[in-house]
Amino acid sequence: VTVVCSACGATLDAQDPDLALIAAWEGKRGTIQPPIPLGARGRFKGASFEVVGYLVREYEADGQPYFWTEYLLFNPHKGFRWLTEGSGHWVLAHAVRGRPEAADGGAVYLGTRYRHYQTMMARVRVVLGEFPWRVRVGEQTVVSDFVAPPAILSREQGEQEVTWSVGEHLDGRLVWEAFGLPGAPPERQGVGPAQPSPWWRELGPTATAFGALAVAAALLHLLALALCQNRTVLERWFEYDRRGGPTSMVTEPFELTGRPSNVKVEIFTDLANNWAYFNLALVREHGGGAIEVGREVSYYRGRDSDGPWTEGAPADEVYVPRVPAGHYRLIVMPEPSTPRMRYAIRIRRDVPRHAYLWGALGLLAVPVVAIVALGARFEWKRWQESDHPWVTSTDGEDDD
Amino acid sequence: VALGAFTVGALGWAHWSGWSPEPVTEVKEVPRSIRENPGSYRSSYGGRTFMGGK
Repeated sequence: VTVVCSACGATLDAQDPDLALIAAWEGKRGTIQPPIPLGARGRFKGASFEVVGYLVREYEADGQPYFWTEYLLFNPHKGFRWLTEGSGHWVLAHAVRGRPEAADGGAVYLGTRYRHYQTMMARVRVVLGEFPWRVRVGEQTVVSDFVAPPAILSREQGEQEVTWSVGEHLDGRLVWEAFGLPGAPPERQGVGPAQPSPWWRELGPTATAFGALAVAAALLHLLALALCQNRTVLERWFEYDRRGGPTSMVTEPFELTGRPSNVKVEIFTDLANNWAYFNLALVREHGGGAIEVGREVSYYRGRDSDGPWTEGAPADEVYVPRVPAGHYRLIVMPEPSTPRMRYAIRIRRDVPRHAYLWGALGLLAVPVVAIVALGARFEWKRWQESDHPWVTSTDGEDDD
Repeated sequence: VALGAFTVGALGWAHWSGWSPEPVTEVKEVPRSIRENPGSYRSSYGGRTFMGGK
């Protein structure tokens, strides 16, 4: 058992009746002030724990030193707990009974599979308080972390033994509340190894809502298909001849019935390697106004070294919105680039538009896609700090 | 859910009302002389020179 005096920093062997000195504090006295003081009591999961020890540990990655702190907590009935903090991310851990099994580079403990996060050589930089084993500044251990957020499994290998502990991510504010500390906990930096993703929690309910709304949209679309007229009211071929016949055409009157709804005008031409612009006017027979639309039809085809190609199409269509019932004529004023052209006009009333369903499904999927993207970004940040980053930095690589 | 309900509602409204995103020009009143002789109608799109194609 090791006791470190918080006043003078000396490390003592508590099993020796004379408290033999293990190591004297070589640093500057009075500079170590744990954010959670030794002796502080806090409640976790209904039990009160006292802070009996404090460690600062260091490891090196990419030539940079990184630090984390560990508080040893004790409850006479529950035993010891570890409260660790690194970059504002907290974990409450306890020693595991039994030995986790290795699996696919990770570990399995109590049926939960943990993915390997990182392995490091950790060194003790600061010791304060009392510990149930011998610990001293400079002591080195190999620490491996395995994660299954919000749980984390740690393996620590010293010179003589291997110990495992399992912990769970804690919000720093809960730690501060548990100990009744003033101020705020250290600010979080990045994503913690065991920090649960807030996005995956949202994904389930959002996907369920998407499914329900998608079914509602599909049923609504089927209802529209069943109720709409989708009726052809006119279909006719015309000849355009700039040198002889009339260039503007007028259809015979046709009747549009039912509530105000769309009118689909389809244009079919015999154009090839040509274009035509169609001015269309839907004119009401007995008083009222007209609705004008314009469509361009162009169709080109040929063959080159890559084989046959086409561009555009010899047909086009346009939907005239919200046309009230009544008798109408369609006036067609084509402006083709060719002196002669055959074309047909087909007019249909109250036509369902499948594109609306696809558009609605696309809009409904936006939150799901956004959550998946944000969740992936969160995981990317988590694993960037690990031994298994999703993207490996190429800085400093030899250009040769 | 609010966005989804709005989307499904908009889908139903678009179907029912015959809404379409295509731009159209509405002419409020066509003179009787033109309605009786539709061939004399001149579109407000008329006279444009289409420069599309090859």
